Amino acid sequence: MSVVDFLWRFPSVQMAWRNLGRNKLRTMLAALGIIIGVVSICSLGMATAAIQQQATSQLGSIGNEVSITSGQDSDTDGVTDDQVDTIRNLVTDAEVVPQKTNSTTISSRNGREVRVSVTGVTNAAALYNLTSGEAPSRLLSGALLSNSTATTLGIEEGDPVEYDGQLYRVQGLIEEENAFGFGGGELVLPESGLSDQNHYNTVTVVAEDSSTATEIGGELNQYFNTEDEEELSINTFGNAGQVGGFLETLSLALLAIGGISLVVASVAILNVMLMSTVERRGEIGVLRAVGIRRSEVLRMILTEAALMGTLGGLVGATLSLAAGLVIFQMITGDPLGALQWSSAQYLVYGFGFAVVASVLSGVYPAWKAANDRPVDALRG
Amino acid sequence: MSVIELADVVKRYQNGEEVIAALDHVDFRADRGEMVTIIGPSGSGKSTMLNMIGLLDTPTEGTVHLDGRNVTDFSEDELTEERRSGIGFVFQDFHLLPMLTATENVELPSMWDTSVDRHDRAEDLLQRVGLGDRLNHTPDQLSGGQRQRVAIARALINEPDILLADEPTGNLDQDTGETILTELTRLKEDENVAIVAVTHDEQMLEYTDSTVRLVDGVVTEVSGR
Repeated sequence: MSVVDFLWRFPSVQMAWRNLGRNKLRTMLAALGIIIGVVSICSLGMATAAIQQQATSQLGSIGNEVSITSGQDSDTDGVTDDQVDTIRNLVTDAEVVPQKTNSTTISSRNGREVRVSVTGVTNAAALYNLTSGEAPSRLLSGALLSNSTATTLGIEEGDPVEYDGQLYRVQGLIEEENAFGFGGGELVLPESGLSDQNHYNTVTVVAEDSSTATEIGGELNQYFNTEDEEELSINTFGNAGQVGGFLETLSLALLAIGGISLVVASVAILNVMLMSTVERRGEIGVLRAVGIRRSEVLRMILTEAALMGTLGGLVGATLSLAAGLVIFQMITGDPLGALQWSSAQYLVYGFGFAVVASVLSGVYPAWKAANDRPVDALRG
Repeated sequence: MSVIELADVVKRYQNGEEVIAALDHVDFRADRGEMVTIIGPSGSGKSTMLNMIGLLDTPTEGTVHLDGRNVTDFSEDELTEERRSGIGFVFQDFHLLPMLTATENVELPSMWDTSVDRHDRAEDLLQRVGLGDRLNHTPDQLSGGQRQRVAIARALINEPDILLADEPTGNLDQDTGETILTELTRLKEDENVAIVAVTHDEQMLEYTDSTVRLVDGVVTEVSGR
């Protein structure tokens, strides 16, 4: 037995299908309303999923960091060794990387000059990626230089750079993956190179992920600061957490807009169902007169609405999938991202909404038709 | 025993301030294999009476007995079950569903009843009313007389005790009307069914076993018994 034969054993489905076929144009227009609703919900949802994915991948490099600097009410102009020790004691499951910073101008033999920021740090591995190989976790001699600066100045690995009257051999070039591109060039030196500075300008805590970073930031804040006194300024950046929150709000807002169009579509269905039941009043009266039960009439009309919703939902979801592939291609450059659950879920929601909204819109017309007294209905 | 019996039935309608008695203390009965015609001018209460007999409406006063059971106070759902199993309807405008074929229209009353398959009986009934070659035609491919025969077959699908016909010849020309009446006369014996017809067509009286004449909701004459 084929699926069609099987479905045909359900008289409500059979009758509903035939009834929908009686006024194809009207059915199609009502379904079109649903299709538009589903497509708007799905494509807006998928667009936010794409934006979210893109933003998260771009934020990834700093999202998991906590940045600590001297607070407003601190007695010193930086983070002290004691404070660093305290932080190290408090934070056990993440790297604590104290840094001293300055700036300088590097000149090259070809006479070019570039202003760069200088960072004195021991554990360079935690903060930097090199174009070749790994950054040393204990930087005791030599220097690291931004790849772009090196290119501008014509400096290669092994060449010397000067800072504060001392020469450092460039050990590696820093790969700049920071999507926001702030900072410009950077020269990384051993901490000893900036030994004339007593305090650390920044302590960076590198955590597993952004939620751990947020947690650590909260703990440190609680330990060092009170409401009135800020000993250390602790920033979990406006990082992925907050951006994610913003994106969630954005996606809710967009979904609400999509939802409105689906509400409009279901009002259209309500209207179509109401019209078609009013038109068929006499006919439904005949059904009731020949012994068709109220529940059967109700089921038949609800099935009509459900079929319309299913049909519109399926077409809408298919179109949305196509739209999703295009959206992902445009935003992230990878169309297949649309098939991931974070984006594909909106197809399921859109389809589900379409069916539910249609059935809900069918409830009143169905109830009205089923409860019309046959003697009144027959009179027309 | 009568298959349907109205005893002292009154039906009143509220029409604005006025109360109208559409039926005023009416008695009626019909037996299996008998054709009873209710005749009267329009507005005399014929249709109201047919609605009472067909369990589509309930009386204000009096009782309705179906096959000896008092069904006067049945709920709408109980009445639906009684109509489904015991009563067939033929309407003046045929009232066939346009998207269904002749056979499907005949099967309609038993469509939701998945426990029985009436397909063969539907085809058999259509054969018997002379539409064996029109089984898969839709109503718009059939003439008025053919449509009414489909409607008659539909009324008989559930092997009812009573077949109600509201102006069955009203939309047909004289010759076709006569054919339909001959058909009904034959079927009432074949199927052992009581036929109650409402008309103002005097032509029908030739085919009936008894006649009830209704004027202003009052039975003025019962003949043929």
